[in-house]
Amino acid sequence: MTDEDTRFGTEVLVVGSGAGGAPTAALLAEAGFEVLVVEEGPLVRQGEVVPFSLAQMDRQYRAGGVTAALGLPSIAYTEGCCAGGGTEVNSGLYRRPPEEVLERWRRDHRLVDFDLAEVDEIAGEIEAELSVQAVPGAQIPASEALRRGAANLGWRHDESPRWMTYPDGPDARLGRRQSMTETFLPRAERAGARLVTGLRVDRLVLDGGRAVRAEATRTDDGRPVSIDLDHVIVAGGAIQTPALLQRSGLRRNIGRSLAVHPTVKLAARFADRVNVPDDVPVHQVKEFAPDLSFGGSASNPGLVALALSDSWDRFRDAIADWERVVVYYAAITSEGRGRVHAVPGFRDPVVTYRLTRRDKAVLGRGLSRLALVLLEAGATDVYPSYRGAPVVRTPSDLATVEATFAVGRASVMTVHLCSTVPFGEIETSATDSVGLVRGTTNVRVHDASLLPDAPGVNPQASVMAVAIRNTRRFVETLTPGRKAVT
Amino acid sequence: MSRLSPPVAPFSDQLLALDLPDLDEDRRRQVVAFVARRVDGLPSPMKAGVTVVALAVDGLGRALGRRRVVGVLGRRPLPVLGEYVRLVRSLAYAFIWETWPDTTPTGGRPVSERQRANHQASSSAHWCTTANPHASPDARVHQ
Repeated sequence: MTDEDTRFGTEVLVVGSGAGGAPTAALLAEAGFEVLVVEEGPLVRQGEVVPFSLAQMDRQYRAGGVTAALGLPSIAYTEGCCAGGGTEVNSGLYRRPPEEVLERWRRDHRLVDFDLAEVDEIAGEIEAELSVQAVPGAQIPASEALRRGAANLGWRHDESPRWMTYPDGPDARLGRRQSMTETFLPRAERAGARLVTGLRVDRLVLDGGRAVRAEATRTDDGRPVSIDLDHVIVAGGAIQTPALLQRSGLRRNIGRSLAVHPTVKLAARFADRVNVPDDVPVHQVKEFAPDLSFGGSASNPGLVALALSDSWDRFRDAIADWERVVVYYAAITSEGRGRVHAVPGFRDPVVTYRLTRRDKAVLGRGLSRLALVLLEAGATDVYPSYRGAPVVRTPSDLATVEATFAVGRASVMTVHLCSTVPFGEIETSATDSVGLVRGTTNVRVHDASLLPDAPGVNPQASVMAVAIRNTRRFVETLTPGRKAVT
Repeated sequence: MSRLSPPVAPFSDQLLALDLPDLDEDRRRQVVAFVARRVDGLPSPMKAGVTVVALAVDGLGRALGRRRVVGVLGRRPLPVLGEYVRLVRSLAYAFIWETWPDTTPTGGRPVSERQRANHQASSSAHWCTTANPHASPDARVHQ
């Protein structure tokens, strides 16, 4: 064992390498800072695992993808745990942060120097960096079905662009996702940043409000590692970031306001073979946005079985026809909130979430309307994912869905986790307007934790935009003489 | 508590026997091993909770008969215990149909497969090979 294995020193430590950490590291390294990025998970290159498979969950998700926020009902969620974080495992859908959401954050959280035009400009830079674009040519049939159903109803719908590059030719499925390991992480390394994977930061050691060291553990053999630092930027995501701060003794307004987009699902069977197991639909139905949005999920046969499992005794025959079955979701903007608690003696935090009565009602309404879209799209059978659900074959069956749906019987899940370390200048803010944790002089947060609430769209563009904006402020404030950060 | 491995295997085995009566013993053993491995890797507070429930269910099974207890829990979703059943069931089903997509709704092998040589390895991942040229089909086999 060398000293290099157990002791690091750096000017800026970035904890986490996802949508917040990777752009932060790239910009800081390019500005001339010495940057060390530590990532708990492994580096897994695209193509090493099948997208949305159990193998991917084993290698790139925390706890194999089996994580839940406790409550009535509990809400299953997933966290990426690999170099690149959630950007490596999601479907690459991109949504620029809505202007009204940014304005609400600026106004309600009294964000200082939060210029909407600047965020918009940064979003443009991100889109260029990640090659954000619509699918060239034909879309997968499951996506086309969603478009067709919404169009038949006269409901608002659109295609979500993705961070993808596509080769010339007709088959859009050959695209390559422009996740962090393809974009900002290589850019950071080219500028001199070091990336260390398989290293979990257990806590920050503070001296009078100043972090001086990070104590970490190697995930392969459990060996302790110490990292001396001048500045630390925590970007471990909305669950791990507050947990790390709490373990470090920082608790003010931290971990108390988890926001998510709760989601319910159904499976729809069509006459044709519509299932493309390793891709997802890009069309979304926005007629009821931001309260409700509909989209398509990964639908490999294992995930189809999962969607059918709540009423297996009546739905099970559909699994024999999985190539004609696709899973879709209804996601809501929730009024509920959750908490993240780091509990002494436990390695992982306890996560809780409480849906409001309104949330539960909107989820039920959403499932029924989603079923209607799919009937309009030509689905022959629709299987809502809750215990005791009927098979929906005509619009008249939807009355039964509305009468029998209870959120406690449903498999509720989410993939968008935000707001556990909210930034701003109000009583409940955990950091200032640029992510500096209250009560500290050099501990910053640059990830989804900062967003004051769940934005009603995929939050990763918002996370990147806020991280880049805050990194620029950090550089400007700290070292006005350094070269400009672009 | 979180270092203990929850005793999920006996419960999983019995639940699968009831839910999917045609799932053969070899496959059932693989599925049970997968469920146990995933439960063992749960975040520590969740694992502690699941361990308590699994111990209680295991104790009930020993006292009242495992088949009877699993039968009741499988049919009647009770608070907390129902979540345990859902966890085991969802892990098991996801594994079965991802690994052997042609499995029948009762857990059996399709007729065409049974007719093939018994020794031939089943195709576990044909869905992934055509749509994604970057994918390695071997990487997703959990055996």
